[in-house]
Amino acid sequence: MMKKISGFLMVALLVSGMLVGCTSKSALENEKKDKELKVGFSLSTLNNPFFVSLRDGAQKEAKQKGAELIVADAQDDTAKQASDVEDLIQKKVDILLINPTDSKAVAAAIRSANKAKIPVITVDRATEGGKVLSHIASDNVEGGKMAGKYMLDQLGDKGKVIELEGIPGTTAARDRGQGFHKALQGHNKVKILASQPANFERAKGLSVMENLLQREKDVQAVFAHNDEMALGALEAIRAAKKEIMVVGFDATEDAVKAVKKGTLSATIAQKPEEIGKQAVDISMRASKGEKVKEFYPVSLKLVTKK
Amino acid sequence: MHREMKARDLRVSWLQKMGPLAGLLLIIILLSTISHDFLSMSNIFNVLRQISINALLAFGMTLVILTGGIDLSVGSILALSGVLTAGMMGMGIEPWLASLIGIIAGAVMGSINGLLITKGRVAPFIATLATMSLFRGLTLVYSEGRPIISDDYSFVIMGQGYFLEIPIPVIWILICFFVLGFILKNTPFGRHIYALGGNEEAALLAGIRTVGVKVAVYTLSGIFAALAGIILTARLSSAQPTMGTGYELSAIAAVVLGGTSLTGGKGWITGTLIGAMIIGVLDNGLNLLNVSSFYQQVVKGAVILIAVLLDRSQKT
Amino acid sequence: MNHIERGITITAPLLSMVGIHKSFARVHVLKHVDFTLQAGEIHALLGENGAGKSTLIKVLSGIYSADQGRIHIDGKEQVFKSPRAALVAGVGVIHQEFNLVPHLSICENIFLGREHLFGRGWIRWRKMRREALLWLEKIGLLVDPSCKVGELSIGQQQMVEIAKALSFDAQILVLDEPTAALTQSEKKALFATLCRLREKQVGMIYISHRLEEIEELCDRITVLRNGESIGTRMTKETSMDELVGLMVGRKIQEQFPRELTIKQPAERLRVEGLTQQGKVSQVSFSIQAGEILGMAGLIGAGRTEMANLLFGVQKQDAGEIWLDGKQIRIRHPRDAIQAGLAYVTEDRKGEGLVLSRSVKENFTLPSLASFTKGGFIRKQQENEMAEKLMRQLGIRSTGIEQKVGFLSGGNQQKVAIGKWLLHQPKVWILDEPTRGVDIGAKREIYQLINQLTEQGMAILLISSDLPEVLGMSDRILVMREGKRVALFNREDADEEKVMQAASGGGSLLA
Repeated sequence: MMKKISGFLMVALLVSGMLVGCTSKSALENEKKDKELKVGFSLSTLNNPFFVSLRDGAQKEAKQKGAELIVADAQDDTAKQASDVEDLIQKKVDILLINPTDSKAVAAAIRSANKAKIPVITVDRATEGGKVLSHIASDNVEGGKMAGKYMLDQLGDKGKVIELEGIPGTTAARDRGQGFHKALQGHNKVKILASQPANFERAKGLSVMENLLQREKDVQAVFAHNDEMALGALEAIRAAKKEIMVVGFDATEDAVKAVKKGTLSATIAQKPEEIGKQAVDISMRASKGEKVKEFYPVSLKLVTKK
Repeated sequence: MHREMKARDLRVSWLQKMGPLAGLLLIIILLSTISHDFLSMSNIFNVLRQISINALLAFGMTLVILTGGIDLSVGSILALSGVLTAGMMGMGIEPWLASLIGIIAGAVMGSINGLLITKGRVAPFIATLATMSLFRGLTLVYSEGRPIISDDYSFVIMGQGYFLEIPIPVIWILICFFVLGFILKNTPFGRHIYALGGNEEAALLAGIRTVGVKVAVYTLSGIFAALAGIILTARLSSAQPTMGTGYELSAIAAVVLGGTSLTGGKGWITGTLIGAMIIGVLDNGLNLLNVSSFYQQVVKGAVILIAVLLDRSQKT
Repeated sequence: MNHIERGITITAPLLSMVGIHKSFARVHVLKHVDFTLQAGEIHALLGENGAGKSTLIKVLSGIYSADQGRIHIDGKEQVFKSPRAALVAGVGVIHQEFNLVPHLSICENIFLGREHLFGRGWIRWRKMRREALLWLEKIGLLVDPSCKVGELSIGQQQMVEIAKALSFDAQILVLDEPTAALTQSEKKALFATLCRLREKQVGMIYISHRLEEIEELCDRITVLRNGESIGTRMTKETSMDELVGLMVGRKIQEQFPRELTIKQPAERLRVEGLTQQGKVSQVSFSIQAGEILGMAGLIGAGRTEMANLLFGVQKQDAGEIWLDGKQIRIRHPRDAIQAGLAYVTEDRKGEGLVLSRSVKENFTLPSLASFTKGGFIRKQQENEMAEKLMRQLGIRSTGIEQKVGFLSGGNQQKVAIGKWLLHQPKVWILDEPTRGVDIGAKREIYQLINQLTEQGMAILLISSDLPEVLGMSDRILVMREGKRVALFNREDADEEKVMQAASGGGSLLA
């Protein structure tokens, strides 16, 4: 019993010590830079190069413009994101950037920010509830279209195509697929042989492509909803000693390298750093009382060897 | 009364052993009638190569589950070992040495699990749930969240090459399968694993070093996960920090599909291989049939449920 | 039907089971068994393991349905489709393992699944409490009904089970080995309760191996053997010998065949000052080669803890152990086994055997090293040894590959003992070796113990069965509260002295 009590005491002491430490420190900082804007940024994950770049872009911009940026990583866990947002509200940030792990689940967190009268801007993924000042994201449908058009050009308007889909039910998978199919509409000589999910993973992209190659001996092109799957598919194609054009999405470091090497035909560059940069930029503008738009589409670009 | 017991005893063990195999054959027959590409030699090797990762994880998992434990950290061990191996090679270390370092890292991670469970008296589920997150975090720290390329030919061959027309990963699982099967059947260590899972107290009183056996089992699970991580890295020509996420569940599914009891003490490695094959064949078949992404999950869940329910009904 | 009783009552019986027949896969487990129970009677059901007692009870309580035969309660024919139906008809069964939820209160347990409610969902706590109190008073258990069941002693939990059964208006109470886990005083309390219920005209069926208890408590005794009812006797008019004879089908001359065989005194095991903080303190004793040292004491006296300490299951805080004149250190059961100790535990299923594995694997588990060459088990040698051992012990099973979980209690115990024989130990620790074992198998186990002593092995026999300790031991050590409180020679010991020492009334002289 004594042990238990002393344990509690220890924990209580530690926690209160930490609290005192934190508050005194931030109080000092506040005195020093009174007018510095405090931006909270809840990221869905840093377990993915894309979001790492996105964060880097945001941090660079914040440093340049003299804002304080507090980043929280939700590790792809909706519950953790909810508590991250709570924490940021507690830290009294002036504006909240949220990159939702899940469009639906994030709504509650956004509502509590609304209650605390902290304006919210969603980044990359939108929300399905709560009041949002603005949304910043690249236009996935447009990107899918871009990939489709590029493929049509390269194939000369005819050929057989495979599509590797992202995690079923995610917005990115839906929008990119939708754009791609739109682009191919009306081109009757281009046939989509198979649309199979590979969950945005490289290993899964490899094995699904391996499986599909067992059936489809005559494929000219593959469109993958992200680069990871595209690079996995490339491994399968290389092992099968085939010549198939692969187009990815996201333009990650690896993918850009592969494009330069000529193994990956093209990838659609979202500009994560640009998204991050714009997010901070728009927060600054909003905090100065400027009127901001509901949606800022961040442009995409096609990355090819040339 | 005795005759009745004997008949039941035999029937249970026979069905328990033949059930998973019958299920696998059923799925194979079904798929081969629907899809003509399914039963080609190249597709058979293709499937075997694809299950190699899950099979290796499931082998280690079988040992752990036989002792009545569980290892949720295998996916993370796979990732950290793979990333370490790729990272070492990036620093110019010879592929074989880098792989050895990866394997040793897996062994260390596994033994940490074992020590937490035995000396630290933490329940296996909790201990490995924590290390799952811990090792994944270390993977991200080490790789800075980015994939590490490793396209050295002598390394990549481990995942992509062939030996006498047989994919090398397939050779790996065959070796591991026979060695493990032999160990479980013919060595005191194997006997101790079964005894420990069947009744830990009785095993202790029979003089078995239960702590040692458990640590060894989790260490082996770590080694198998590391080997899987290296093969996956070789297959992909790069190590992804996110690779192996969720793999622990597929491994557990393979073990359970193979008829190994989650309460420990009962099971066999052949069943696990069959279980891994069922999952692999199903994935392959669903791709070949171009089944829509939403239905794939429904089918997989249903197959696991049916298999486990059949197993249950045989036991009662 | 030639043993109609005239003596207790002449009224129609409370329960009559006529011509009950039950078979499983062509094996006849019950062969036209007749059984009657009067109101206000305690009726013992006696028989070896496998005689059909549990099957008969399962038929009565609706777990099995009989192939043939009828059950009448209060003259009304009953067909039970489920245990619940039997309960509602007034048959309450107190199993050896209780059906109680330890985290819930007594009151909640009694009314589990049929709580008094206001309309839907609101529990009427006060009414339930009041009624629970009533039932507890009826059986003489004076405990607050809001106490958690897990905090009660085993004896009290059993009382709660009885109260629960009675609260269903049970007129017939079946008690399956109710004293197996009880202390002496708990047993007394239980008997008092049963006698009180007898006065209230409850009919009780009492199943036990312990003949002394039956003699003390029961009015009539029905003996089953091989699924047949052999006969019913008035307790007053029968003797233990007759009952044993009926059960086994042959006369057993003496129950405890101990022959003193210490040929030349040589100290095998000496233990000095063995201590585990809070459980065992400063226990010393020695055992000669070929000697049986009995260890008596009440439940919780620290005997099993002592054994665990000696065998290295628990960590010793102090103490020295000598074997054949050499001091040995035991930190793990492995050390104990290597030194030549063997330990047959109290709880067979929990600690002694791996039920999911075969007879063979259980046999060779402690001595696997001697069947191993170059890291591999030599299967053939292992099989031969297991076959031999099984024949030697007379274990009834389908073969060495049969899972131990499928064996009967007596045969399981033989496996639990037999696994140490391969190892040729010098000292045996036997903790309750005959608990739950039928009389025939008991005798075989006693004979086995005798054989072991003839070969010069030393035996520490821990038992709560006083006649067994007195009958088998050469010397008797009594423990209380973790301490050694008395040591008797065979000639000087009797039940009274040992009980006195064990319960605190005896002298502290050794």
